Amino acid sequence: MITVNGDPLEHEEGLTVQGILEAKNYKFPLLIAFVNGKLVKREDYRTTVVPDGAVVQITHLMGGG
Amino acid sequence: MAYDYTKRTDLKGDVDKQKQAHKVLKEITFKPALPQRGYNDRTLYVNLTDLTIEERPVTQQMKDKFIGGRGFGLWFLWNATQASTRWNDPENELIIAPGPLAGNTQYPGSGKSLVVTLSPMTDIPIDCNVGGYFGPLMKFCGFDALEIQGKAARDVILVIDGPKGRIAIEEAPLENVDSHVAAEVFTHQYADDEKDLPNVSVVSAGRAADHTRIGCLNFSWYDLRRKATRLKQAGRGGTGTVFRDKKLKALVVHGFPVKGDQNNPADLERIARIGVKMHKELHDFDDSQCHMRRQGTAHLVEIMDAYDLLPVHNFQYGNHPDTPRINSQVWDKRFTQGIPDGCWYGCSMACSKGADEHQVMTGPYRGHSNTVDGPEYETAAGVGANCGIFDPDWLLECNFYCDVYGIDTISFGTLCAFCMECWQRGILNAERTGGLEIKFGSGPAQLELMHQMAEGRGFGLIAGQGVARMKKIFAEKGWGEAQLLNDIGMEVKGLEFSQYMSKESLAQQGGYSLTNKGPQHDEAWLIFMDMVNKQIPTFEDKAEALFYFPIFRTWFGLNGLCKLPWNDIEPADNARTPEPAKVPEHVQNYCELFAGITGREIDRHELLRMSRGVYNFQRVFNLRQGKGQRAHDRPPYRAVGPVTVEEYTSRAERYDKQLKEILGVDPAGKSVEEKMALTREHREAQYEKLMDAVYKRRGWTPNGVPTLETLKEVGMDFPELVAVVEQHL
Amino acid sequence: MKVLVGDPGKCKLVHACEAACAKVLHKKTGRPHAAIRVDPVEGQPRFQVCNQCGECITVCPTGALTRAKSGIVLLKKDLCVACYMCVGFCPSLSMVRAEGVLPPFKCISCGQCVKACPEKALSLVEQPHEGLPS
Ligand code: SF4
Ligand code: SF4
Repeated sequence: MITVNGDPLEHEEGLTVQGILEAKNYKFPLLIAFVNGKLVKREDYRTTVVPDGAVVQITHLMGGG
Repeated sequence: MAYDYTKRTDLKGDVDKQKQAHKVLKEITFKPALPQRGYNDRTLYVNLTDLTIEERPVTQQMKDKFIGGRGFGLWFLWNATQASTRWNDPENELIIAPGPLAGNTQYPGSGKSLVVTLSPMTDIPIDCNVGGYFGPLMKFCGFDALEIQGKAARDVILVIDGPKGRIAIEEAPLENVDSHVAAEVFTHQYADDEKDLPNVSVVSAGRAADHTRIGCLNFSWYDLRRKATRLKQAGRGGTGTVFRDKKLKALVVHGFPVKGDQNNPADLERIARIGVKMHKELHDFDDSQCHMRRQGTAHLVEIMDAYDLLPVHNFQYGNHPDTPRINSQVWDKRFTQGIPDGCWYGCSMACSKGADEHQVMTGPYRGHSNTVDGPEYETAAGVGANCGIFDPDWLLECNFYCDVYGIDTISFGTLCAFCMECWQRGILNAERTGGLEIKFGSGPAQLELMHQMAEGRGFGLIAGQGVARMKKIFAEKGWGEAQLLNDIGMEVKGLEFSQYMSKESLAQQGGYSLTNKGPQHDEAWLIFMDMVNKQIPTFEDKAEALFYFPIFRTWFGLNGLCKLPWNDIEPADNARTPEPAKVPEHVQNYCELFAGITGREIDRHELLRMSRGVYNFQRVFNLRQGKGQRAHDRPPYRAVGPVTVEEYTSRAERYDKQLKEILGVDPAGKSVEEKMALTREHREAQYEKLMDAVYKRRGWTPNGVPTLETLKEVGMDFPELVAVVEQHL
Repeated sequence: MKVLVGDPGKCKLVHACEAACAKVLHKKTGRPHAAIRVDPVEGQPRFQVCNQCGECITVCPTGALTRAKSGIVLLKKDLCVACYMCVGFCPSLSMVRAEGVLPPFKCISCGQCVKACPEKALSLVEQPHEGLPS
């Protein structure tokens, strides 16, 4: 189990940041991702594997509005 | 698809003949001048009743306290009107003011005009931020603002002609009032030749503004590529209705050819540096961020759907399986690509997209081929999803006629959705609407309603009054329960909501309802911060956001800037800054832009101070007009929680969970009605607490009135303001 | 069209081209006023100069940028509003601006730098321009 923005999410082997975005349906383009407090760059979303128990924060900036 | 985007139905007719029919009622000469460091220190006052045209000085106090743009507009309006003044009194003014930074060609989003007037929807000031060339061209003729008071006897136009040094009020009996025709005709009438066309801009409304309260204004600019006048809207609050009530057919400015230094900025190099930096940023990142250059704000349609935030069926639901039919991929193809679609020179965000070759299907222009300006997100969401219409052709048709007739797409979308829900619930039926089957999903019915508004007949006359008045009318006629009508009628202070679902974000309920002018998202858009990121969990956090963002965003309107280049593009290292949501690097750009033009150094604190004064001034203005208190800041329940059983059931899992986790109530064995009542009690109480926290942070009393200390602190302790506030302390 | 091309093998970084260009375009001597800039990148001279691709034509709001019959992209100063979008959007960063000069500027393939280069490192090469933005 990991937490994403405070909510629990099932962990699976090889889960990447991109995988989390897909699981959560996070489609907004202006995102900032932190895994256990460490910033993950946009270009690394597909390759960054998230360990079990991780605390993930995916911050959406505003845009639009 | 290969097509010729310069081809469209020609609507001008014989422009010379129409011009010959003009009768000059009043004419003066003036000395055109260029601003120094962003200010002309001169404004133009026009009274249509007694045909006064006069120049007025700008005082240092005005610049210090009100900056320009919306600030100037509010100050003029305050002085021109009284507590008892209503929108259609001759003393009501319509003010158009760019700001000190407007008209620079280097920084993206710098061509905005601010429109301020007493609104026919809300009876308090409305302010709209609009693109198009009018404001900057007027500024470079020598005026920081245009104040129009009084009413003409017959349809008139006001012409400000810089190169000829002439300002005139002319009767103009022959021209069509509809905006796409009016803009085209007047542009050709006042340009010297083809090359001169971009130096003319027209403000116009349309025939529906004559019969409804939701009239908007179109500000034009000439698109060299398409060889056509394009339109941008001062949409909200009935500006076009006021305009037509004054019997204005058009405002025409004929300016000088634009150069890059006409503001006579204090430090052009500084502006050029940050301008180039922003252009480069847009070049490098827009394709991987928001696609503003290809899709404009329409890129948001499927995003809002994915987050359950796209209003569907009058804000009942937040998504719909048919959304892909009106999503950004559709618009990406419909919009002509590769054209610099900025609504002012130098806007590399270029979001003012155009859908060329729309074949008009209904109404007086049926069979014409035309360019539609947009749709922007608000339009796609409002007249599309919110009305259950997921057909791009009907959406374009509706967008086209809104602009042409001078109707605000946002209010139209929300009020049409309200009518459709009333139909769904039996509050409206064919007998009551005079045969108009105003059902969710019906594009033809929506357009018929629009044409009725334009012709001033049938149910269109009632709907054109807006949601607030419809609620009253329906209840009085006994067509529906007042409580239900109030719950589902999406308005606050008399203005319709714009197109985001706030149900699951307490902060955004405040973002909409704790605003000065009414529920428009331009003060604060906090849904992601609040609902998705969970960055502002406590009341104090939410209050802080509802303090900071409205104040910060007010600054764009004081200066004549667009909000979009602030946070619809992000610098490469924004993520590493302590407060990415504020986009600190861009805030710093704005401080530099201000200093580079006006010569006055400011930092981000001073920036907020400038806005805070005007923001509180506007609150006191509302108070003087009889609003601006706690009672006027409450949203309809539809914006807060599930009004109906279907709504509750559609998100039952979420609501049940909240009952259990937050209220400690076991939902099992409870009826939906019981659960709805508990949810409602809780959510309404939360909103009251939010108001308390926000008022406190803003320095207002629990009734939402700025305290004397606050007025003093923000430099707005003028005796006349203190006198208004004291009545409420 | 004639495109200016540099040969990094011959260039000795004497910057004669920059001086010649600044003189032609602005009657100045300094590099900031030149439309060609040569810098060492990883030990090799790199020529930053317009390749006449025409991307800037599509972003210009006023029609100040056009492709001449010869194929060269030209800037009409009287139409330019100094928005600098072309500067930010030039893929090779070859549209430049200089302090005190309002319109930006670029290489016009005049060939003065070719003549000025003592190492014969520069040449004007004929290239097709069909299909490029015009
Ligand atoms: S971002 Fe769009 S609305 Fe804003 S100034 Fe640019 S073109 Fe106009
Ligand atoms: S700076 Fe001049 S040439 Fe370049 S895009 Fe702007 S108007 Fe066109």
